[in-house]
Amino acid sequence: LCRGGLAERLCRLQNRERSAISFWRHQCISDAKIPSDKSGVLIVKILEMFEECTIQVAICQQLEQSPATLSSEDAVVNAGEPILKVLFARETAAHLKSRLQDIIHIYPPWQKLLVKNTDVPVIMNTYFSQKVLLSEHSETTEKTYGLTKMLIRKNIISLAQMFRLDDLNDELCQESSDNQVACAPQIHNNCDSKERSAVNDSLLEMVESQGAVGWREAQVRVVIQRVYCLPAREGYRSHIQGNKPLCATPIINSDPANARLCLLVQDAYGMFSEVQLQSPSSADDIKQCCSRWEGKFCCLAGMKILQRTTRGRALGLFSLIDSLWPPVVPVKVLGQSQDSEMMTTNLPPPSFCYILTAQSGEIHVEVDEEEQISNLYQPPAVRALKEILQIDGCNERCSFWARVLYLRLQTKHSVPINQRDIWLFVTDSTLQNVVHVTPKVVAVSVAASCILSTEITEALGVASQLVFFKDALWGNGRIICVERTVLLLQKPLLYSAAGADLSELTGPVRLDELDSTTQANSVCAVRGTVVGVNESTAFSWPACDRCGNGKLELCPQDRGLLYCNQCSEVVISPVLKMQLEIFLSCPSRSQSIVKVKVWHKISFRLFVLINMLLSLQSYEVQSVLGKEVGLLNCYVHSVTSHPNCVALEEIVLL
Amino acid sequence: VPDDLLLGLKFIFGPSAVPALDMVDQRSVTRVTSPSGRTAYQVLGSSGKLYTCYSSCHFCTCPAFGFTVLQKNESLLCKHILAVYLSQAMGACQELTVSEEQLTSILLAQEEDEG
Repeated sequence: LCRGGLAERLCRLQNRERSAISFWRHQCISDAKIPSDKSGVLIVKILEMFEECTIQVAICQQLEQSPATLSSEDAVVNAGEPILKVLFARETAAHLKSRLQDIIHIYPPWQKLLVKNTDVPVIMNTYFSQKVLLSEHSETTEKTYGLTKMLIRKNIISLAQMFRLDDLNDELCQESSDNQVACAPQIHNNCDSKERSAVNDSLLEMVESQGAVGWREAQVRVVIQRVYCLPAREGYRSHIQGNKPLCATPIINSDPANARLCLLVQDAYGMFSEVQLQSPSSADDIKQCCSRWEGKFCCLAGMKILQRTTRGRALGLFSLIDSLWPPVVPVKVLGQSQDSEMMTTNLPPPSFCYILTAQSGEIHVEVDEEEQISNLYQPPAVRALKEILQIDGCNERCSFWARVLYLRLQTKHSVPINQRDIWLFVTDSTLQNVVHVTPKVVAVSVAASCILSTEITEALGVASQLVFFKDALWGNGRIICVERTVLLLQKPLLYSAAGADLSELTGPVRLDELDSTTQANSVCAVRGTVVGVNESTAFSWPACDRCGNGKLELCPQDRGLLYCNQCSEVVISPVLKMQLEIFLSCPSRSQSIVKVKVWHKISFRLFVLINMLLSLQSYEVQSVLGKEVGLLNCYVHSVTSHPNCVALEEIVLL
Repeated sequence: VPDDLLLGLKFIFGPSAVPALDMVDQRSVTRVTSPSGRTAYQVLGSSGKLYTCYSSCHFCTCPAFGFTVLQKNESLLCKHILAVYLSQAMGACQELTVSEEQLTSILLAQEEDEG
């Protein structure tokens, strides 16, 4: 605050005033008698009361006046019945608990304000006010008063008044006087029974009227737009990932059994809320819950607010909300009566969202499974991969149906296995059937925060699967599966697929050939001529011919034999597996040194040759050089420019 | 300015009073006029952000106004609007003349990204 400025002055004055008020109040409580000094005291009787912008306005009749001059300016007093508009601050009003016909003594210093063109003077700064009790049985009447609820009319200033739209002024003045709001803050909200069982349809009203700690008996009816699982948080690990704001990496427990089931719900006014259920359901239930609950109405009761989050703090949540905006049917507008028109155009997307959870561990969510799907429900819009790759925006949610060709676990050793990203290489007919324009295969990175059910994890490792990716995130040229993305093995019951080509793949899957645009963490097909062999990295090992286990042990009984502990049997004829790094010259990317780690399926001739070379422990490089290596499917480990080198690893597609 | 007036401001406007007076002390209110005679007020808020208050009607672009005044009806005005009224009354407004285009862009640029 500016030294010597008005603000500083007011602060000092206010502090003095506050101590004077508390001193006076204390005095009032200790002496039941009215102080004898009557000079400057204003005595009024309350005729009418209402609240406006937290100030309590009391239209009063001035009863009598002390002969001494009042502390304020104008002393125009008639013997008649002067009417005054007395304003009480919220705190004073709560202290007074006044009712109609009460007599209030207002002690100085108070102020009188005469507003131009009005007859009724306004009395303000009424901090030192005291209610005068009339009869001898005052105490008992006071008690009964305290028990009954008090309704004070709240005068809501309409927007037209606010913005001084004069023509509408009179009409709206009438309307606002009909609003009745239960006021007195100390009194417990004993609503009529009608309200108790009433079902609200506005989340915002529920939150505002019921508060953060618990919704007592009211319920709110909402539509379930999405069902997903969120990981149970166990703290955060700070990790910077480029410019991405989602960079405080939570230490996530991705165990499907520890996930929290969550619902993204929307009310009749278009407002969203995320409801986190605390029941120990696992991610394996998600498939069921999705198909049974999405799109249906449900009633929320007994919720408490975990958080009110905003767009800037919860990008992931809001990217999902944006994908559901604008609403597909008109929504109601708060503040207008039920019969007014609903709006759907030009509504700005929400900027805040309440995250709710059930109080005390109980679930208070009743899903109306029998009822029809709500019109407000927006099923996921399935798009073709080709279309998704052409999206311009960032952090946009997209849903698609694709075949998984290859799976790779990221090998960051500093991160525990259950928190590592999984990369899925996927394709669909729109990518396979088009020549040259878009890549044939797209990498989808599945973050640890995207909970996968055990069914999916097992299925993905076994064979090539058709997977429905619901609400994945597209941004920075990549598709990622994060929190709130759901992977399903079946197509959902309801989805919109405008123009998407969801046909099955017809021929064998083709990968893009290695060329100058190939990047790391992708898959490609490579062909070329062998120009070198990296002897130092070559090694071979025996593997079980039954199960392929590469970690055979020496038989304890006969150390000349090999034993497979996965099959629990001796391996009679082991398969020789080998790993070798060869250098290729590829016409499609002639400038780079292409280093390929081959170990699965190199050509038989080459295999035999190299095998011989290795077992003989000596070789002539010339015998290998110049050999053609056919179209090998590879995973690109890294692409460096200095030196210009591409490191690949041969892979087998699922 | 007598003490009574200051206390009166505090009584009616509550928590907005002191911040508004501070803005007056610091000359944070600027009246922006264009050649056609249109005016708007720009107030430098405590966070350093510039808010626009309209002269033709009771409005401010700050989030507190939207929430406490328009939505919850808890307050008559926000501290910026009060600062504008006080600065007007005390002749403490800074003056700035801009072109029509500049004033239009001030009046139109109300899309504040909160994220």
